[in-house]
Amino acid sequence: MRQAIRAGLFLAAILKAGAAFAQIDLSGEWAATFHEDLPHRGGVRLGDYTGLPLNEAGWRKAQSWDEDARSTPERQCIPHVVTYALRGPATIRFTKLIDAVSGELQAYYLHGSYGRPRTIWMDGREHPSDLAPHTWGGFSTGTWERNTLVVSTTHIKTGWLLRNGAPTSDLATMQEYFTRYGDYLLATVFVNDPVYLEEPFIRTSNFVLSLPSNADAWGNCGPAQITDELGGRAKGTVPHYLPGQTAHIQEFLSQSGVPAEAARGGAATTYPEYMAKLENPSQLDNRLFLPPAPGKSFPRVAPPQTEVAGEIRVLPVQGNVYLLAGAGGNIAVQIGEDGVLLVDSGSGAVNDKVMAALRTLANKPIRMIVNTHAHPDHMGGNERLAAAGNSTGGGRPSDAPRAGALIIAHKAVLDAVSAPTGKQPAMPFGAWPTEGYPGDSKELFFDGEAIQLFHVPAAHTDGDSLVFFRRSDVIATGDIFVTTSYPVIGKGGSLNGVIAGLNRILDITIPKDWQEGGTMVIPGHGRIADEADVVEYRDMVTIIRDRIQDMIRKGMTLEQVLAARPTVEYDARYGSETGPWTTRMFIEAAYQGLSQNR
Amino acid sequence: MGIAAAYLMWAMAAQAAPQAPPARQAPREAAPIDVTGNWVSVVTEDWRWRMLIPKRGDYSSVPLNPEGRKVADQWDPAKLASDGCKAYGAAAIMRVPGRLQIGWESDATLRIETDAGQQIRHLRFGKSAEAPAERTWQGRSVAEWDRIRAPGGLGVSLQQGPGRPGALKVVTTNLKAGYLRKNGVPYGEDTMVTEYFDRLSAYGTDWLTVFTIVEDPQYLNQPFITSTHFKREPDRSKWRPTPCEPGSAPAAASERPAK
Repeated sequence: MRQAIRAGLFLAAILKAGAAFAQIDLSGEWAATFHEDLPHRGGVRLGDYTGLPLNEAGWRKAQSWDEDARSTPERQCIPHVVTYALRGPATIRFTKLIDAVSGELQAYYLHGSYGRPRTIWMDGREHPSDLAPHTWGGFSTGTWERNTLVVSTTHIKTGWLLRNGAPTSDLATMQEYFTRYGDYLLATVFVNDPVYLEEPFIRTSNFVLSLPSNADAWGNCGPAQITDELGGRAKGTVPHYLPGQTAHIQEFLSQSGVPAEAARGGAATTYPEYMAKLENPSQLDNRLFLPPAPGKSFPRVAPPQTEVAGEIRVLPVQGNVYLLAGAGGNIAVQIGEDGVLLVDSGSGAVNDKVMAALRTLANKPIRMIVNTHAHPDHMGGNERLAAAGNSTGGGRPSDAPRAGALIIAHKAVLDAVSAPTGKQPAMPFGAWPTEGYPGDSKELFFDGEAIQLFHVPAAHTDGDSLVFFRRSDVIATGDIFVTTSYPVIGKGGSLNGVIAGLNRILDITIPKDWQEGGTMVIPGHGRIADEADVVEYRDMVTIIRDRIQDMIRKGMTLEQVLAARPTVEYDARYGSETGPWTTRMFIEAAYQGLSQNR
Repeated sequence: MGIAAAYLMWAMAAQAAPQAPPARQAPREAAPIDVTGNWVSVVTEDWRWRMLIPKRGDYSSVPLNPEGRKVADQWDPAKLASDGCKAYGAAAIMRVPGRLQIGWESDATLRIETDAGQQIRHLRFGKSAEAPAERTWQGRSVAEWDRIRAPGGLGVSLQQGPGRPGALKVVTTNLKAGYLRKNGVPYGEDTMVTEYFDRLSAYGTDWLTVFTIVEDPQYLNQPFITSTHFKREPDRSKWRPTPCEPGSAPAAASERPAK
């Protein structure tokens, strides 16, 4: 009898497991079929953006893309970003991750097609904070709806729809639908990118079950594999086409017969009624270069906010380093046996919340504050946070703590916030650096790791420091790098200095394989980043610099430069028409600075 | 009956209950998805081969065999007007940019009307799918609601239920030979077209997807697989009927299916 009960329970358990698995099985190797869009999947031509619902910013960015960019050291190991990966010329593999105890499906792994391995979480978890790093594969969650695996993906790096520069921004999200029809698999992919698309882009890719395939057969790419493919070009060169350079586009148009207007893409070109326009070429605007319309604006696309504004958010970055966001400028926190080290202290408006957040990380005193520059949103919290902490050592006869944390910054910061006796300083005495280091660097050792401060002259300000935690492998950049706006050119700063600072960051960062992770970067404002994100930003700033420089060389006035809109394809992501740092102010500052360099 | 056996029977009943086959229902009533409505193709793929008439010999992506390439290479663009409805047959019609109206003509027949080429397809379920007397551009389409069997645990014998509701599967034969693309890329009359019509919603919009497998022993060296997507439209206000044969009349309003 007992045996029968055991057998019955066993059988019932198996049946129950069968019910849990009642979704369609996608496991296995699936070979891509290439009966659609073949020229868009192999050697796609520059200038061919047919069928893409690009907005003006999108096609302008695409037209400036130079294939040589792919050969720069920072881009050689970039894999297929998830917004494109399923179009790659290879097999994909679905694998199940089953919980060994409950037997429940936890996730699917999706490998292949030159994209990064993806985990599609099926356990109902939330997507990460908007401050979390972005990756080439993004962060994906899935559910089953009827016969289809529905996947939602966020946290995608700046990427592309086609390998000819047709762009996607890091604010793009995806919805994917994987449906099996016998031994065929249909992947319907939507990319929604309010920065570069007029409407969500839909693309369907087809696969056939292919058991002998191996989706991981192409090896690896990392820093060791990077070679000098652009010999002779100066370090930091960003290949791109200036506005009006159209030879690369003309070549495609001549060979394909596609009208220039249609080649630029756009939502209207993807609907049947556009065929009537194609039949009447006089209705088409086939100019090869369209000057940006003066006065037309691209409103800033706000990134998603997943948490309450005004609240302090704490995110682990790497090693001993955390990000505290919400106090003004970002605060980097290093925690260890020795105590707490802060890089910047926020605006000071929410010191109590900052202190409360620090206590959730460690019950240790603040020993040091390092300021990246002299702006109040980064050192406004100095006075109170330093006063709440204490430092040790200092050559005193006893080892009793010394009241107040050390405040370290470049000497230019001390000069900026202090004032001779009798004069009104920019900040109260308690906020001043206790040490303003001269020269180009300073070394610290705290919480068991070496910390390097690198001064970058005349960048965001005249007193910028990069702070590199060597063991944790994290850089806090201050406002030389931000993910939220164009670089702010402050007192003593310059656009070329910012670019030099960004290149300095790239000298320090070393990515892991496939140009992802490795050294992590805490920007002055915005989300956690890595080298690839800094590369995108550096490229953007360099391209804008090159355009303005070219316009100055041609003798254009500031008003003419503003009318030519040298930032046009980046405005929806980084620009602003109001507030303390507008797009106009950025262009003006760049123009003035570059004009002095003529 | 022992406890174990009773538990087993309960478990099996519980397993089977959600998947119990419905009583005999008309296909219309049994539809797991609603494919009816007004749909517009959004041409984000193969744009150059769908929105424009490709050049002779441009059969990029199509797995033609040597015979197929030979025929395609002989296409004469000067005679485009005389090609009539060759590029609007069932093997190609879903790739032609245009609008569809899909509705139930009867409880067992779905009707697809296209504005491009003004074609009408009848997707007939079950025994209503009788073969027409002669080959036509749209051929004979046999429809069924696809169901995905999901055996698990102990296997088929205990768990084979009606499966999960899937797509609308349509197999079309009895076709007149035609073109896969307007530049004379051929398919033969022995072609079989298998299609899966499916529905999804993304970013607040309803979509219809059509996964198409064209098998042609005459001109293709492997099944030609495409997938095409259509966005829902609220009405027929953008309907732009264009006959594929000069002088052919637009479909009369009375022929239009109910919404």
